This record gives sequence, C-alpha cells and structure tokens, in this order.
Amino acid sequence: MGCFKAIDRSQLVVLAKTKKTNEIKNGNGYHYRLLFYEVIMIQRSTLLLSILFIASFGVCSAQIQAIELEHDKGTLVIKKTPSRIVVLAFSFADALAIADVSPVGIADDGDINKLIPSVRSRIGTWQSVGSRYQPSLEAISSLKPDLIIADSGRHQSIYNDLMAIAPTLMFKSQGVTYRENLQITQKIAKAVNKVDLVNSRLEEHFQLMGRLKAKFKSNDTFQFAVISDKGMWAHSPDSYAGSVIAELGLNSPIDSKNKNAYISTGFEQFIKLNPDWLFVGKYTNRTVLDKWKESPLWKLLKINKSKQLISVPINEWSLASGVLSAEKIALEIESQIQP
Amino acid sequence: MSRYNKILAISFVLLIILSVISLSLGVKSLTLETVFNTVINGGDEDFIINQYRLPRIIISILVGIGLAVSGVLTQGIIRNPLASPDLMGISGGAGLFACSSLLIWPEVHSALLPLIAILGGFSAAFLIWLLNHFNHPSPARLALVGIAVSAFLTSCINFILVLHPVEMNSAMIWLTGSLWGRNWDYIWPLLPWLIILVPFSFYLAWSLDLSALGEETATSLGVNTECLQVLALSSAVALASVSVAVCGTIGFVGLLAPHLARLLVGPRHKLILPIAALTGALLVLSADTLSRNLAPPLEMPAGVLTAVLGAPYFIFLLYRYKGW
Repeated sequence: MGCFKAIDRSQLVVLAKTKKTNEIKNGNGYHYRLLFYEVIMIQRSTLLLSILFIASFGVCSAQIQAIELEHDKGTLVIKKTPSRIVVLAFSFADALAIADVSPVGIADDGDINKLIPSVRSRIGTWQSVGSRYQPSLEAISSLKPDLIIADSGRHQSIYNDLMAIAPTLMFKSQGVTYRENLQITQKIAKAVNKVDLVNSRLEEHFQLMGRLKAKFKSNDTFQFAVISDKGMWAHSPDSYAGSVIAELGLNSPIDSKNKNAYISTGFEQFIKLNPDWLFVGKYTNRTVLDKWKESPLWKLLKINKSKQLISVPINEWSLASGVLSAEKIALEIESQIQP
Repeated sequence: MSRYNKILAISFVLLIILSVISLSLGVKSLTLETVFNTVINGGDEDFIINQYRLPRIIISILVGIGLAVSGVLTQGIIRNPLASPDLMGISGGAGLFACSSLLIWPEVHSALLPLIAILGGFSAAFLIWLLNHFNHPSPARLALVGIAVSAFLTSCINFILVLHPVEMNSAMIWLTGSLWGRNWDYIWPLLPWLIILVPFSFYLAWSLDLSALGEETATSLGVNTECLQVLALSSAVALASVSVAVCGTIGFVGLLAPHLARLLVGPRHKLILPIAALTGALLVLSADTLSRNLAPPLEMPAGVLTAVLGAPYFIFLLYRYKGW
C-alpha cells in the first residue's frame, strides 16, 4: 500500500511538471515560478509522510519505475538509478552537485580548478576523462559508467560511440541560457532519481534570485565579457551569464535584435555598447583592455568615470553555466552594486 | 633478397609492430595477451580495443597511404620537390568545403563528406589551374601560386569560423587534423576510394617515370602527357580530399613521405609508391599514437605532431633548393 502512495505522489509531481514545462514554453516565467511554489507547498504538507515513504519504499520504487527522459537525441529509458555517471560538460556537474550525486568522471580539461569551488565541494573525487572538446572515449569506457551526460553540440559526432559505452543523455551545455539549463537540471534530477532533493534546492535558489531581483532597482546597463590578448567577446542575454543578468531584471547594452550568444567586440563596437558596468573574465594576464586603456577614447567611456570595471572569475561566469554558478554571479553583482 | 625488398619488408614489419603497440597503449594500457584475446574473442575490453583503437589505427594507415600517394603523384607531375597536396591548397579547398558543410549543416551524413571534400579539392585545383593557364610559370613560381591559394583558402576558413564562434573550438581541432571520435563508420566512406585510386596510381607509375625526362621526351616515347597530367592530378586531388574529409588537414605527410621514399629507394615511381605509402601510414599512425599517449586522457591533434616533423623539413627543402 505504501508503494502505491509513493507512486501517486510522484505522479502528482510529474503532472505539475508537465504543466510547468508548458508555462516555460509560453515564456511566462512568473507563473512558472508561482506554480513551482504551489507544488512545493503541497509537497511540504505531506513532508512527514513523504519522508516515511521515501525511507521505506524509495529503493523499491526506484527499481520498479523505469524513467523515460526526453533529451536532444530522442527518448532514453533509464531502468535503474545510475550510480556511475560520467559528465562531459561543467553545467552537468553543477546539476549533479545540487542533486548530491558525485560523478565518477568529468571532462575537466585535465585541470580540477576549472570546476567552480561550490561545485567541487559538493562532489567527491572524480577522474578526468580528458578535454571537453575531445573527451577520451577509452578513459570514459574504462570507468565503466552506467550513464553519460554529454553536450549535444560538441559531442554530437561521438554520440554513437558513447551509446556503445553506456546509455547517454545529450543536452545543450555550450551556449545554454539560464532557463534552458533549469529544465535540463530537472531532467538530470529525474535521471538520478533525486527530484525532491533538487526541487527543494531549486526553491532556495529561486528565493535567492527573487530576493536579489527585488533588491536591484537599477536603470544602468550591465555587460559581461571574456577577454584575452586576442580580443573581447561580449556575452549577450542569449548566453548564460547574460541571461542570468537579465533574469535579475538588469538591462543589457546589447541590441535585443542580436541573437548571437557571444559577440566578438572590437574597441569601436565596445565604445558603442558603452555599458555602465563591465564585468570581465580574463583568459590571459595581458588583454586587449590594456591597449584600449591607452586610447584617448577610453576617457569617454562610462566605466572609466564610474570605475565600474570589475574583474570576475571566468570559470564561474563563463565556463560553469549551472544553477550554483548563477548564484555566484548574482551574489557577485550584489556585492558590487551595494558594497 | 634485394635491398629494395629488404626495405619494403622492414617498413611493413615496422607498421605491424607499431599497430600492435598502438593497440596496447592508451589511458588503460593492456598486455599483449589481452590485446590478442580481445581482438579474437571480444570480452571486457571489447570497446577500447575493437571499437576504439582498432578503427583509429586502420584509419590512420589508410589516411597515411592516401596522403603519401597523393604527394607522390603531385610531385611526379609538377616535378617540384616542394609540391604536395597540403602546400598546394588542395587540402585547404577540401577542408574549406568540408568545414563549411559541417558548420552550416551539422547533420551531414559521413558518407557524403568525402564527396563534398573532393568537390572542394577540385575547386582549389581548378583555381590553381586557372591561375597557371595564362602564363606557364616555372616550378618554383607554381609552388608559390599554390601557397598563395592555400593561404587564401585558410583565410576563408577563418572567416567562416568567426561567423560561427560557438562551434569554433571543435572546428579548429578538426582543421589541425585529428582522429578523435573516428570509428568504423568512417572507414567505409574512405576505403572504396583507396581501393580504386591506389592501384590506379601504380598503373600510372611507368608514365610518370618517363615524364620525369621532360615533356617532349615523354611524348616522343609514347606518353600522352596531357592525359597523364589530368589523370594523375585528379587522383592526387581525390586521394588528398577523402583523407581530409575523414580526419582534417593532417599536414606535411604528403610532402615528407615521398621525400623519405625517394631518399631510400631512388627516383623510380614503381619503387617509390609502396615505400611512400608505408612511410605515410607509419607517420600518421605514430602521430596518432603519440597524440593519445603524450598526456592521457588529454588528446593532442595528430596534425600538430606531423607539423613538428614536417615544418622544419620544409624549411630545409626551401634552403636546399634556393638555387631556383
């Protein structure tokens, strides 16, 4: 009987989630969030019961229910909750971190510091499976994973190989926006059978984002860009950091007609953007900004007068693209606006 | 056993030894016994050996043969030691077409890619032919025309990459030449071209020897030089293009392999071709094996490693032949 009730409850959540997805498609984020809180409230009222059910029947329901998951390459059926997961992009590591699941392998470019500290502290040790551009298939295979989560852009050409190693989910990671990633995060939560945990963590996340959005009442324009000695790439509201800034109700200096996520920006184009705030993530120590600063035109820029040029960690703002990194971005903006 | 047969046998044995080494080395190094068992019976390491390392080794060998034979044909016809499909812009043309089709139409079927690349290779060849049609340049100037065309095509590729910045890194790796993610699916589009064109280039070998005596002498000895040029260059373009389509522009193999072969066995094409093919296969296979094993699990593009060998040799050639 307990089993039945547990399934009933999960069906309720699934029902609410389908509704929620429709809301997202309508582009109505506010309703989406209201509904989300409603679901959480229902869940809370039955919290004690749920804990009891999960404790006694969680394992049994995990084995009985096969999960069907839609991803970018169709539908994947997951029969058993996966325990050895390999992720080939940082945003998926973030999603697993909030689900309290440690991946056994991450394509981390051979450098553990590329993962942001808030993700690293939540997951155990992992093995590197090479670079995100060319993850090593033999390294992945030798970890004997039971689930692989790969970037549907970068890893499209090795999808068949990955499927030969283990069931593979393909989601967007590079160029993903804040809202797209929320949906992906929930799908990953479903795949690892941690929907409740992730939902309660997301509730916390929405509260933080909501609080900051209410707090930031600014007409200034905010821009994030990555810079190196080769040039500057402005991240538009269609990029991850850009969409987080937009989510916080802050303005972008980039024309809304622009649909590119990353815009290669020269000095002249930058003068035209002329943002009130510029957050930069540096790939190299010396950057084009050092050269631009010597130009007399630099004095005309708003950031020169206001000194609102802030250097930020590039892995949090550009590489991570996850829920935890969105919080880092939001908190960094908060600390800068009101010191 | 003649000296030639010895050289042939030694390079063949070297290739087999290197293949076996390449099969056993990697992120997870396996004993030779495990390797042989897995190749025959499958088992736990089936994916790593039979689905991952074996197809990559076979593709390396095929691509090496394709590039080397293409280089021999190009050098034979143009009679210029600097000529090779990559320096002449053929690889650039194939790379430009393949790369743009990958960026614009990412779902493109892997069997179509060689055809698109061949189209690109022939377009580049046509461009070079057009530039040479009006004034017949000396071999050195012909090489310069090729290098200029090659640079032009590279700039086109860069332009396309700037327009598609999100996919840029993957495209860059592909352009440097890499066998990452290449499996059995890529062998079938490659194999038929090699099966037809490699024996065909053997058939042309004798005429190529004669044409080395100069166009007039060759004609008087019964070689239809114009026909030979078209056939040999078309085969060279097609061979280089299919290789590029499968693993990007692995540079300098088409230049190095024929030179090494000539150094070992002299100028006769019938003798050069098999040695050059084996040398090319050895070059690409060792580059790929190194690229997987220098800093595992990180991979280096194999093209970087062939360039490390090839670029200094190219400079040496420029220095040595500065007389013309």
